[in-house]
Amino acid sequence: MKQFGKILKYELKNFFEDKVFVGVTLFLVVVIAGVMFVPRVLDSIDVSEEDTVSDDREVMLIVADSEENSKALSEVFAEVFNNYEVKAGDSDIEAVKKQITSGEAECAFVLKDLTSYTYYVNNLSMYDDNKAIAEELLTNAYRTNAFMQNGLTSDEVTEILSTPVSGDVENLGKDQMQNFFYTYIMIFALYMVILLYGQMVATNVATEKSSRAMELLITSAKPTSMMFGKVLASCIAGFIQLVAIFGTSLLFYNLNKDFWGENPIVNSVFGMPVELFVSMLIFFLLGFLIYAFMYGAVGSTVSKLEDINTAVMPITMLFVFAFMVVMFSMASGNVDNLLMKVCSFIPFTSPMAMFTRIAMSTVPLYEIVISIVILVVSVIGIGVVAAKIYRVGVLLYGTTPKIGTILKAVLKA
Amino acid sequence: MKLELKNIEKAFGEKKVLKGVSLIAEGGRAFGLLGRNGAGKTTTIRILMDVFPADSGEILFDGKPIDYNNVQFGYLPEERGLYPKKKILDQLVYFAELKGMNRSEAVSAVEYWLERLGMSEYKNKRLDTLSKGNQQKIQLVTAVAHNPEIVILDEPFSGLDPVNAMLLKDVVKEIIANGKIVLFSSHQMNYIEEFCDSIAILNGGQMVLAGELNQIKRNYPRNRLVVKSEQKQKIYDMYKGNCQNGENDSLIITLDNPDDKKKAMQKLTESFDIDEIKVYEPSLNDIFVEYAGNQA
Repeated sequence: MKQFGKILKYELKNFFEDKVFVGVTLFLVVVIAGVMFVPRVLDSIDVSEEDTVSDDREVMLIVADSEENSKALSEVFAEVFNNYEVKAGDSDIEAVKKQITSGEAECAFVLKDLTSYTYYVNNLSMYDDNKAIAEELLTNAYRTNAFMQNGLTSDEVTEILSTPVSGDVENLGKDQMQNFFYTYIMIFALYMVILLYGQMVATNVATEKSSRAMELLITSAKPTSMMFGKVLASCIAGFIQLVAIFGTSLLFYNLNKDFWGENPIVNSVFGMPVELFVSMLIFFLLGFLIYAFMYGAVGSTVSKLEDINTAVMPITMLFVFAFMVVMFSMASGNVDNLLMKVCSFIPFTSPMAMFTRIAMSTVPLYEIVISIVILVVSVIGIGVVAAKIYRVGVLLYGTTPKIGTILKAVLKA
Repeated sequence: MKLELKNIEKAFGEKKVLKGVSLIAEGGRAFGLLGRNGAGKTTTIRILMDVFPADSGEILFDGKPIDYNNVQFGYLPEERGLYPKKKILDQLVYFAELKGMNRSEAVSAVEYWLERLGMSEYKNKRLDTLSKGNQQKIQLVTAVAHNPEIVILDEPFSGLDPVNAMLLKDVVKEIIANGKIVLFSSHQMNYIEEFCDSIAILNGGQMVLAGELNQIKRNYPRNRLVVKSEQKQKIYDMYKGNCQNGENDSLIITLDNPDDKKKAMQKLTESFDIDEIKVYEPSLNDIFVEYAGNQA
């Protein structure tokens, strides 16, 4: 126990003396703090630039069947397209095209009548919604015209067209839309942390082996103490890193809360319910441990650092599979499908699958308890087996041994 | 202090690595564990240090089964290696702490040994900035800093320059003088001969020779003479058939009867101009080649 404490302390110290670890953490903290200030900065820029902004606007050309109509329509368009300088264009289409390709104008709407037009643009952006806006505008104009021709006044038409529908939603379970973002962020954080730290544990063990420090370590400390010390140290380091990152974001979010306003993503992330946060911690911790033990055990079986990547591949694949199942289920909107249900009881996939289900659906308490119990038992079991593999693995030099050879040796040990 | 290994057997899978190894090592003396590569020396050491258990046999310390909580080992492995990227003082203190010392004890012990080995100036440097020989001196600290009862040195002199070898010799002598049990494993027979009072030779996992080195040498038939002379050829002609070339331009004459030694020596000194004449004692090298030459 005393030895375990010393190993844990030494391994933790290694993390906090590692320039890369400290550097990456600080970098992330600074970036996140910066991001949290973005709306405040944008806000102050918006205020100062309001007066001068008009001259920089792009030009939009409107061409109708007559010069008069072009002018009238361009005024209507100008009301909607605030961010464009809307002008009536030349009736010569070729001249309009030339203006666009030369960059003189950004885009042009050439209308045959109110229900048919051609949109000219130099490069069609992925996010170009001018067409949709124009269509709505034209539809409204067409309808207004039609109603007025049938004897309605302009006010009556406006009233008919803008009658609002009111409705309320009473959600009895979880709001998937709201929970989606933080579940997504948490699953992604779990994915990154397990892969990064798992690899770190494996590399750490393999480095000790390849530098032959292991010869001395194995005669100085119990393999179980070494294995558990290493895994727990990386777990604590990972946790501290996450606390630093999420703590910073929470702190700076609160400082800039007023500027974030009603941003649904950010509000949903910071409005995570406490019980969900607790279940996240439980699954995070157990999931981390189960994978870290496996990575550590595999790290002990390779003799050269170059072999690490190939050796840990099966574990990484298993983990990526769990991640994929969860991601696809989240995207499909049905997190309670059969595969997810099965995965939420398999210890290698349950940390992500069960957490996602808890976050985005309503899971009976007994299912959660069963899942956690299976996971805890598996963590202990895998921890013990991993320590045994470690004990055998660290003394095997040469080519990476076959799984069968290791298992035989473990059974004998 | 007395360490005893009794009939230790160990197999890895189908392969029997140790087939009944026994030895006795005492405090204040050095014990040489010899054998060719793959003879089972490292396995014996690992079993002794409880890295893995023996299949059968027992290990006794002062006549009782060894209690690893009370007996400390110091180990200089043949495959040297520490943390190359870590500060020297930090890792040495860590290893001493793992061996049960508290932090302040560990720091003062490590600083004492760094001073003793002339390495104090490097204590805050990274290990990989040091030369190979100096790294080896650092490694030696991990074997002795925690004041262990049993010190196991596997090829301690390999890679050391003569000055450092001398320094290490002094350290080893000091450890022996302090009453510790020192287990030496080496292929450099001259060092074993210099330090070890008793030896054991392992061959194919079996103990083929064990005992006091002097006694082993004495037990060889004393019927051979080593002769150095300018008239080598004449002597060779005289003892034709019983004479062969030895080391350093000497001749080795084998007599039919050990009792003829005195007479033969007298005859030689009278008949020839003799520079040196003595009874031949086998070197440890000869003994080793004889017993370990054809590994099972």
